[in-house]
Amino acid sequence: MIRMDEKTAFALEGQKDATSARLGMWLFVLSEILLFGGLFILYSAYRYKNPVDFHHASRELDVLLGTLNTIILLTSSLSMAASLAAIQRGQHKLSMALLMATMALGLFFLVNKGFEWGAKIELGVYPNSPTLLARAKGEILFFGLYYVMTGLHGLHVLVGVCVLFVVLILLSKKKIHSTHFTSLENSGLYWHLVDMIWIFLYPLFYLIT
Amino acid sequence: MKPEEEIRKTRYKTYALVWMILIILTGMTLSAAGMELGRWTVPIALAIAGAKSGLVLNYFMHLRSERLLIFKVIIPLVLAVFLIFILLTFADIAFRGGVK
Repeated sequence: MIRMDEKTAFALEGQKDATSARLGMWLFVLSEILLFGGLFILYSAYRYKNPVDFHHASRELDVLLGTLNTIILLTSSLSMAASLAAIQRGQHKLSMALLMATMALGLFFLVNKGFEWGAKIELGVYPNSPTLLARAKGEILFFGLYYVMTGLHGLHVLVGVCVLFVVLILLSKKKIHSTHFTSLENSGLYWHLVDMIWIFLYPLFYLIT
Repeated sequence: MKPEEEIRKTRYKTYALVWMILIILTGMTLSAAGMELGRWTVPIALAIAGAKSGLVLNYFMHLRSERLLIFKVIIPLVLAVFLIFILLTFADIAFRGGVK
């Protein structure tokens, strides 16, 4: 009887730990929201001042590639969430496969982003380039924000893939299982955050009419 | 299985449904951008993005199944802080005379 009580107490303690870890992760996520939030305010202030230039510059971005990347990230969020659902049900292999799919989609996103940036740089449009500096003030600001914000976001995707790789190793070593999955869940929170930021970047950069 | 864990389990079907709605909303954002909506363009784009974020927060990030009050409070709190930043910034820009 005493043994049972100890066991229950231990389980409850573990539950509390998981909740605090999740709360800590949420605080980090919120600080990230404010980090990008600052950049979004900068964006809206400059767009408010230069609506026409922003419109012209935005037309040069590849809407198709932007939309494809949106779908890729949304799908990666689905596989991430499903990976957690799988481990909660004790479906270890499925969870690993879904996590690998998430990482692959993240890398796919980055490759697309690389092509997109590459095409722009090919045209001489990159921060401080002579071609860009010769253009209207608002367009310079637009592309500056475009490179900073999608660059910082891309960096987050890259970090996310690295974090998921660590989680994948933990999964393969069975350090994460149906009753202990805090690291998988919390890295998932980070991944969904990165997806959420893109949800806002997409219409604000690619779809200015 | 601990009761809390049981509550926090989401069905695969729910995730798939949320994903489908997210894709549909992306399509809506795209088609709305093709329309001549004038001054409503940005509010509509932001409203759709807000709805998508709500789905991600509540379902993928499981905010709706969190039991502790603090999880319900922190998001509105951060959004309020963000709103204050926006208001202060735009109060500056809108009433700054002459300086470019």
